[in-house]
Amino acid sequence: MTTFSARVLSAALATVSAGLYCAAPALADDSSPNSSPNSVRIGLYSVFFHVDADDLSGPFVPPGANLDARNVETLYLAYVRSLSSRFDVEVAAGYPPLQKTVGKGPATLGSVPYDGQVIATARWIAPTVLLEYKFLSESSRFRPYIGVGVNYTTFYDRNSTAQGNAISGGPTRLSLTSSVGPAGTVGVRYNIAGNWHAIASYSVSKVSTDLSADTAGEIRTTHINFGPQALVVAVGYSF
Amino acid sequence: MFKSLTPLSAILGAALLCSCGGSSSPTATVAASTAHGTLALNPPFRIASLNAATFQAQLAASSSGAQLLQLAGNPSCGVDFYYIKFWTLGGAGETTESSGALMVPTGAAPACSGPRPIVLYAHGTNPLKTLNIADITNTTNTEGALIAAVFAAQGYIVVAPNYAGYDISTLGYHPFLNAQQQSGEMIDILTAARTALPNTMSSATSDSGKLFVTGYSEGGHVAMATQRALEASKAVVTGAAPMSGPYALEAFGDAIFFGNVDIGSTEFSPLLTTSYQKAYQNIYTTPSEVYSATYANGIETLLPSATPIDTIFSTGLLPESAEFDSTTPVVTVPNNPTESAELTALLSVPGSANYPPSLVTDQTPVFAAGFGSPYLINNSYRVTYALDAASNPDGAVPASTARPGAPPAAAEPTQTLRLAFYKNDLRNGDWQPNSPTLLCGGDGDPTVFFSVNTQVMATFWAPLVQAGLITVLDVGATPSGPFEAVQAGFQETQAAQLAAYESAAGGGLSPEAAETLILENYHTSVAPFCTVAARAFFSEL
Repeated sequence: MTTFSARVLSAALATVSAGLYCAAPALADDSSPNSSPNSVRIGLYSVFFHVDADDLSGPFVPPGANLDARNVETLYLAYVRSLSSRFDVEVAAGYPPLQKTVGKGPATLGSVPYDGQVIATARWIAPTVLLEYKFLSESSRFRPYIGVGVNYTTFYDRNSTAQGNAISGGPTRLSLTSSVGPAGTVGVRYNIAGNWHAIASYSVSKVSTDLSADTAGEIRTTHINFGPQALVVAVGYSF
Repeated sequence: MFKSLTPLSAILGAALLCSCGGSSSPTATVAASTAHGTLALNPPFRIASLNAATFQAQLAASSSGAQLLQLAGNPSCGVDFYYIKFWTLGGAGETTESSGALMVPTGAAPACSGPRPIVLYAHGTNPLKTLNIADITNTTNTEGALIAAVFAAQGYIVVAPNYAGYDISTLGYHPFLNAQQQSGEMIDILTAARTALPNTMSSATSDSGKLFVTGYSEGGHVAMATQRALEASKAVVTGAAPMSGPYALEAFGDAIFFGNVDIGSTEFSPLLTTSYQKAYQNIYTTPSEVYSATYANGIETLLPSATPIDTIFSTGLLPESAEFDSTTPVVTVPNNPTESAELTALLSVPGSANYPPSLVTDQTPVFAAGFGSPYLINNSYRVTYALDAASNPDGAVPASTARPGAPPAAAEPTQTLRLAFYKNDLRNGDWQPNSPTLLCGGDGDPTVFFSVNTQVMATFWAPLVQAGLITVLDVGATPSGPFEAVQAGFQETQAAQLAAYESAAGGGLSPEAAETLILENYHTSVAPFCTVAARAFFSEL
C-alpha cells in the first residue's frame, strides 16, 4: 500500500514538476534578477477538521457508530522557490502531529463510553506542493497570493488507545490508506526587511482515508473525509 | 530562465522517506498450533461489556427479558462477553475450528471478581447455523441471554461452545448427540477459555477451580457426556446439572420409532443421521434408504442451516411434523404371527384402531401428529429399526418389550442407527456420576421425554451411587422440597400463559388451541426454571 501510494505521489509530483518546467519560461514575463530565489519558512500550522465519515461497518458494530477527528496545531515548515516575480512553488509540511480520532454517536457501546472518547491516535505527514500566484508588484510590502496544488497525506504510528481497545473489544491493529488530493490556498506575504518576510494563509485540501481496524480478526471499516482547513502564520527567510 | 528545482526534490525525497516508516498497535496473536483445546486467538475478542445496570435495562426492555429478570433476579455483576475461537475435533476426528462464549462477571462486589467458579454450558438444538451464543447484541440469542442472566450476572464465569458445524466452523455438519465429539469439544473450549481468562480485559476475575457442568436438551446430553469424560480423566467436577436431555438415547429412539413421535423429530432426524453417518459411515449408502424421495435429496447438508427453520418447512425441504408415513407398515416376523401382529400394532398410528389401547395416554394426540404424508422416514427403514428393537430389546422401552426385573440398560443392537443410539446412550460406558448431580426436566415434555430419559437414568444409577448424590427435579410435579418455588413458578407461569392465549388480548384461542401451543412450547418453557434450579443447586456446592 505504501509503495503504491508512493508511486501515485511520485507521479503526481512529476506532473506538477513537469508543468512548472514548461510554464516557467512563459511565467517569467517580468522577471528581474532575483538574488535570493529560495526561502524557508517556519510557523504555526493550525488544522481544523470537518469530518464526514461513513458509519463504522463490520461485525458487532451497533448502528450509528461514527468517528470524528480532533483539531491539531503543529509546526509549519516550508520551502519556497521563486520561479518569477509572480510565481512561487511552495512545498509545505507540518511537523507530524499526534492526531486524535474520537468516537461520535452513541454515548456508550454496551457500558463502554463511546461518544467523544479518544479511540485512536496516529501521526500524519502531509506534504503539499502548491503553485502560487502573487498579486501586486515585487516592491509591495504586502503581496496577496493564491495557490493550487496537490496534497499527499500518509499516516504512521497508528495506535488504538486503551479506551479504543475497550470499545473495539481488544487490542486493535489500525490501517489507514494514504491520500492524494487537490489543495488550494489564499494568503498574504508581508516583506519585513532584508531577507525576512512573514505570511498568513488559509488552505483547504481533500484528505480521505479508508480505515480498517482489526480486533482479533474482526474487521471494522469506514471511509473518512477529513475535510481539513488550515491556518498558517509563519516567518520566512530568503537566500 | 527557469530555476533549478533540486532543493525541492530533496525535501520531497525526505518526506517520502518519512512516510515509509509506520507501525501500528498489535492485535490478538494467532496460535501456531491447531491441536484440539488450543485457543486460536489470544486475547479473545470482546463482543460487549455490560455493567449490571445496563444489562438489567437491556433485559427489561423486552417482555421475555423482563420475565427472565423476574426469574433470575436482577444482575449483581456486570458481564463481559468474549467470543472464543478454539481448535477441536469433528465427529470423525477432523481438525476444525470452533467458537463459543466466555462470559466473565465484572464489578466491585466480592461475588463478581477475584476467583470465581466456572459454569461449562451446552446449548440446546438450534437449527440456525449462524448461532453465536456469545453475541449478546443479537436479540434472537435468547439462550445466551438466559445463561448470562442466570449465571454470569450472579458471579459465575460461563463457558459455552457454539458447537462444531456452527458459526465459523467449516466442518460442514454438526456432530449432533455424538457423546465423544461433543464432550471433547466442551473440554476443548474449557481449556481454551482457561488459557484466555488471564489475558482478557476482565482479568480481575479468575478461575477459582470450581467447575460446574450443565446444559439443556441436546446440551443436557452433552453436559452429562462431559461430566462422564471429565470424571474419567479425574478432572474436578464440583457439580453437574444436565437438563431435559436425551440421555438414554436408545430408549428414546425406540420410543420414537414405535410411534411416540416427539415434537421436533423431523428437525432432529436429519441432524442425527448426518452426525452418525459422518462419524461411523454405516448409517446408509444413500440417504434415500432412510428418507422418503420427497425429502432425501440434499438432506445430508440441510441442518444446521443459515435459512430459518420455518422457511425450511414452508419451502418443503422438511415436513413440519410428519416423521412417519400415516399408512403404517405390516411387519412380518418369519414363523411368528404373534410377534408380527404385535409389532404391526405398535407401528400403527397412535390412537388408531389397531394401536394397543393400553398405550393410549393424553400425549397420544401429540404422537399421532408425527404421522402424515408426505412423510420423512420410509416405512421400510422404520421396520428394520423395529425388528432390531424387538430382537435386542432395550430394557426401558417400549413397555411391551421391557424385561420385567431387568435394569433399564441398553442392549447391543445391529441396526446401524440403533447401534449409533446405543453408542451414545449414557447408560452405556460403565459410568455413574461421582459428583453431585441434579437432573431437571418436566414430566410433560413432549420434545424430550422425561420418563424415557431423566427417570431412566435415575433408575439406572440408583443402585450404583451413594444416596443423595443424584437429585431429580420434575418442574411439573406437585411443588415440594428444596425446589418447591421453582416448581410452583413453572406451573403458575404455564397456567398464566394458557389463560393469556385464551384471552382476547392473546388472540382468544380455543382451549384446545391454547393447550396445543402450551405443549409445543413446553420444552422451551422448562429451560429457564431448570437453569435457575441448577444455579441454586450449584450455590450449595
